[in-house]
Amino acid sequence: MTQLIKLYLLAIVLSVSIPAHALEYETLPDIKEGVVSIQLQEPERTVGYTVGDILTRHITLNIKKPYLLIDESLPIIGYERRYKGQLIGIDLSNIKHIKKESDNSVEHDLTLSYQVFTNNVVAKNGALPAEYLRIINTKTKEIVRYRIPSWDFAISPLSIFGAVKVESDMTGYRGPLLLDNSDEKQRLKILLSILGLSLLGLLYMLGKHTWLPKMGGPFAKTYRLIRKSPNTPQGLQDAVSSMHTSLNKTAGFSLFNGNLNQLFEQKPAFKQIESEINQFFGLSRQVFFEPNAKHTVGDTPIQWLAQFCRRCRDCERGLITDKQKVNKA
Amino acid sequence: MSDRLLADWRQHALTLETEVNKVVVGQHNPVRLITIAIFARGHVLLEGDVGVGKTTLLRAFTRGIGGGYQRIEGTIDLMPNDLVYHTYLGEDGKPHVSAGPLLMSGENLSVFFFNEINRARPQVHSLLLRVMAERTLSAFNKEHTFPHMIVFADRNQVEKEETFEIPSAARDRFMMEIPIVVPNDDDIMSGLMFDTRFHNVDALIDTVKPDVLKFDELNAFSGVIQKSVEASKTLEKYALNLWKATRKPTDFGVKVTNVDMNRLVLAGASPRGMSMMLRAARVNAWLNERTAITPEDIHAVFHETVAHRLVFSPVYEMRRTEIAREMLSNIINAVAAP
Repeated sequence: MTQLIKLYLLAIVLSVSIPAHALEYETLPDIKEGVVSIQLQEPERTVGYTVGDILTRHITLNIKKPYLLIDESLPIIGYERRYKGQLIGIDLSNIKHIKKESDNSVEHDLTLSYQVFTNNVVAKNGALPAEYLRIINTKTKEIVRYRIPSWDFAISPLSIFGAVKVESDMTGYRGPLLLDNSDEKQRLKILLSILGLSLLGLLYMLGKHTWLPKMGGPFAKTYRLIRKSPNTPQGLQDAVSSMHTSLNKTAGFSLFNGNLNQLFEQKPAFKQIESEINQFFGLSRQVFFEPNAKHTVGDTPIQWLAQFCRRCRDCERGLITDKQKVNKA
Repeated sequence: MSDRLLADWRQHALTLETEVNKVVVGQHNPVRLITIAIFARGHVLLEGDVGVGKTTLLRAFTRGIGGGYQRIEGTIDLMPNDLVYHTYLGEDGKPHVSAGPLLMSGENLSVFFFNEINRARPQVHSLLLRVMAERTLSAFNKEHTFPHMIVFADRNQVEKEETFEIPSAARDRFMMEIPIVVPNDDDIMSGLMFDTRFHNVDALIDTVKPDVLKFDELNAFSGVIQKSVEASKTLEKYALNLWKATRKPTDFGVKVTNVDMNRLVLAGASPRGMSMMLRAARVNAWLNERTAITPEDIHAVFHETVAHRLVFSPVYEMRRTEIAREMLSNIINAVAAP
C-alpha cells in the first residue's frame, strides 16, 4: 500500500511538468531597483482577439552598467507556456532584438509577437506571459533576474451560440460596438476637399500675393501699390503711371487710346472692360496732359483706379473671359 | 474771345474738310493732314502714283482757302528762271517778259504745286527751297514776298531714271510727306470709274464751296492756335524720348525686320523737324477740340512729319519707305507716355 502511494505521488510529480527555466529563475534573486528601466508598448486594444491572432508588444529595456543582459535568457520562439501547469495557448511566434550600447548603459529594443492558439465558446481571459530575463553583474559575476510584466486581454469566441442580445451583453470583454461610418467619412472627405478647393479659388480671386500661377502679373503688383496710394495729386499721378506701366507690360507695347484694338486682338479678355479702359485714358489725359479736360471716373479717382486695376487683374488671371470665345466653345 | 475765335475757325476748317472730301473720295486721312499743314503753315511733300488725285486734291483745297494757285511740272530741262519768268516774242515782234508761276499771283499766292519735283535739277530745288524757307524772291530788281504761300510738291517714287533725288536737307524743309494711295474700298473705286462727275475735274472742283477760309488770315490765326494749345511736362518728355528714339532707336529696343539697327540710322529727326511735328500736333489737338496736346495728337502726325527726315545708310535707302514706316511704328510702340 505504501508502495502504491509512493508510485502515485511520483506519477503526480511527473505529470505536473514544471519548466526547467522557470525553476531556474525561481532560485535567482531579483535585480535591484533602479538598475533596469522599462518602457512597454502594448497592443492597441484589450479585447476582440481570437484564435490565430498575433499580438505584438514592444519593450524597451535600459540596463545600467555593469549589469548586462544574458542574451540566452531571452524568450524562445515556439516554447509552450503554462500557467499553473496548464498550457495557456499563447506562444511566442517572433522576436526581434536590437541592442544599442552607450557609455553607462545598454538599451535593448525587444519586439515580441505572440500568437493565440486557444479559443472558447464564450470570451475568456488571456495574457501575454511575463518573461524573466537573466542579468549578470560583470564585476561581481552575480546573476540576478528581471521580470517583464504580463499583459491581460480577452480572447473572443469565433462564433456565438444561440441568440444574443447585444444591448444586454454589457461584458467588459467586448469592445464598444461601432456603427459603420465609412460612407459619412467619405462624404466628409469629399466635402472638405470641395471646401478646400473653394477656399483656394476664393484666395486666387481675392489674393494679393503671387504664389499661384498667373498671380504675379503686372496688375497684381499695381493693385497692391494703388491700394496704398495716398489720395493726393502726386499719389494719383503715381497710381495712373503705374497703371500705364502695367498696361504696357501686358500689351507688350506702349498702349494708347489709338491702339487699343491691338491689345484686344492679343488679349481678348480685356475687350470686356473696354469702356473702363477708355475711362482710364480719359483720366490719364486729365492728370498728365490736359488739366482742363473732364474725366468720367467720379470724385474719388484713386478708389476708381483700384477697382479698375482689380478688373484688369481679373482679366489677367482669366477670371473675366472672352464671351465670344465662350459662345464658340 | 479767343475760345470763340478758335471754335469759329474750327468750324470753318471742318467745313473745308467736308467740301474737299466731297470731291476727293476715300482720302480722309490725307485731307485731315493737309488741313493740319495749312493751319500749321507747313509745306507738304505728296507721295503717290500717277493719277491718284493729288492735283485735284490741291485744287480743291485752293478753292476752299482762296488765293492764287500755281503749278509747275518738274522736268530735267527746267531751269530756276522758268519759275520766275518766261520770255516770248510778242505780236509786235519784240521780246517780252512775263511773270512766271511764282510771281504770277503776287502776294496772293496761297498754293504752289510742284509736280514731280524730283525730275527737276538741283538748281531748281535750290531756288524753291529758298522760297519755301524765306517766302521771298529777288527778281527784276525787286523783292517779292509770298507770305501766304504753301508749297505742295509731288515726287514719283517709282521711276528713278532722269530724276534727282531731293537731298535730306531739302526734304527737311517740308513739314510733312503725305502718302496718297488708291482707296481700298470697292464702292469708291467703282465710283471713281463710273461716276461721270469725276470725269470732268474742272466741273468737279467748281462744286467746292469757294473761300471757306480766308487765306490771308491763316498766318495770324496759326499763331493763335500755337499759343492756345498747351503742352504738359509729361508730353514734353514724351516728345523728347520720341526724338531720341529716332536718333538712337537701339537705346529704346526698336528693331526693324531684316535690318541691322546699328547701321541703319545716319541721322534722326532734326530740331526743325521736331518743332514742325509739335506745330502739327497742336493743330490736330485744336481740330479735336482739345486745349492741350496728347500723345494721340503726336501719333496722328508722327509718321508724316518725321519719316522723310530720317537719313538712312545708303544700303537701306531703296527700302526707305517701308523701313521708315516700320521703324516709326515700333518707336511709338516702344516709347511710353507717361
